[in-house]
Amino acid sequence: MSIDLKNVDYVYDSGEPFEYFALRGISLHIDEGAFVGVVGRTGSGKSTLVEHLNGLLFPTRGDVVVDDEIISNDRKVLAKVRRRVGIVFQYPEDQFFAETIFEEVAFGCRNYGFSKEQVDESVHRAMKTVGLDPDHFLSLSPFQLSGGEQRRVAIASIIAVGQKYIVLDEPTAGLDSGSKLAVLAELETLRQATHVTVILVSHNMDEVAEFCKQVIVLDDGAVAFQGPTDTFFSDVTLVERTGLELPESYRLSRALKACGSALTVNEASTERMLESLKLSVSDLGGA
Amino acid sequence: MALSRSFVLGQHYPGTSIVHRSGALVKLVSTITLMIGVFVATKTAQYVPIVVLLVAGILVSRIPLRFFARGLKPILFLIVLTVVVQMFFTPGKIIWQVGFVHITREGLVLAGFILCRLVLLTLVSVLLTASTSPIELTDAVSDLLKPLSHIGVPSAEIALVMSIAMRFVPTILEETERIIRAQVSRGARIGEGSLVMRMKSLIPILIPLFVSSFRRADDLAVAMEARGFRVGDPRTRYHARHFQSIDVFILLGTAAAVSGVILWRLFL
Repeated sequence: MSIDLKNVDYVYDSGEPFEYFALRGISLHIDEGAFVGVVGRTGSGKSTLVEHLNGLLFPTRGDVVVDDEIISNDRKVLAKVRRRVGIVFQYPEDQFFAETIFEEVAFGCRNYGFSKEQVDESVHRAMKTVGLDPDHFLSLSPFQLSGGEQRRVAIASIIAVGQKYIVLDEPTAGLDSGSKLAVLAELETLRQATHVTVILVSHNMDEVAEFCKQVIVLDDGAVAFQGPTDTFFSDVTLVERTGLELPESYRLSRALKACGSALTVNEASTERMLESLKLSVSDLGGA
Repeated sequence: MALSRSFVLGQHYPGTSIVHRSGALVKLVSTITLMIGVFVATKTAQYVPIVVLLVAGILVSRIPLRFFARGLKPILFLIVLTVVVQMFFTPGKIIWQVGFVHITREGLVLAGFILCRLVLLTLVSVLLTASTSPIELTDAVSDLLKPLSHIGVPSAEIALVMSIAMRFVPTILEETERIIRAQVSRGARIGEGSLVMRMKSLIPILIPLFVSSFRRADDLAVAMEARGFRVGDPRTRYHARHFQSIDVFILLGTAAAVSGVILWRLFL
């Protein structure tokens, strides 16, 4: 099972003098259970792409296929697809409306007709997944939380529905660095436990390098690269051409190579980079 | 996207014609006067001076005609309804009859008159809003209200409220679309089911919208105060307006057209 895009074009104001290609000839394949990054500079079509994944937008040309369902304007198809693909938009805490966190997180479950016990269970599970103690939080108002807690509640309200595919559009924007890592680590734990597919749209290359095994790179509405994340970051010219930056760990490793140092670092994440650096420095017997 | 595009409150068509460049206050006064003129006329023929002025204005403005056609669309139903009612239900000399349905000569004349009146009123206001940016228009309203400040009407504040409201219409529409997308992604069904269900489905949209609007208002207030705004203090304008010769022409043309209508009504 997978999400596939086949030659998708999306044109704003098609046929008008101001027509604008937001997506052109996008073909993608996202495997179930993967942790996939979607990156690209501002205006490269990331958000437009995301809105195609659960039928908020329909392709001007081409098909979006979720599992075996071709997304169309048909109400039944849309209901099925939205039941499978959940999207956490940018600043998801802006959608809060309920009096208590319980109601907020239960909103999606109720919409999909969960029984009372199912709602209860899903809400508790989702809250634990995002690292918030249900007994303490569920009766509070979502508006009295801190920014990081609000973001977690918003993510919980999508996770609670139990969709197969979860798309997050910059889930860590505006969070402090501690919360950033924690939120993503929670998603990774969830993915390993339930085999859910996580699609992460991000501007932060360190995050992408650390969590996403696969990456989709968009440039000017087209796919510039699709494949293993380390392959992408190893191709410096491609990274520069698509207007992106190398993660810190890759930059350090390149800098070390460039000055002919015998030191090598692990590029997988900033944390591992630091660890490996410490190790190799002590191996060399240096300070 | 669709929502904000179909919404045509800001019917501004940017351009550089002399109609665009003339003073907003002059255009506003001229529009109001012409509307009064439209109501003064009692016969279709008396509209001629106003039509001449309006056609001249439309041509000079170089705003495409379909823009005016779009402006007529919202009142199309009203026009059809009044014309039909006038045509069939005005007593007088019958010129066409099938069964009990009949059209009278008087009915036809009256229908034509009402049609002209509605179309003229709309076109005049479309020309104003198309050739004047909302900001200029609110400035003009504030100028028009200025004499009232002597009797305690806070005209500057009213104008400020108006321009802020207009400025935020597109922003709030965008926000609404964003919230709708988010709630739909959480399985909300908007505008489906019974009336009660539909009303209930609006709650998850309206509450976040209110919350964000209050937050925006707060931010705006802080930003304004940070830049030295004080209620009641006199303000200067970034775009100072000076009376130009074209303004005189517009005012003279308007005066000529409306006095034409009045004289025609009184003496012909």
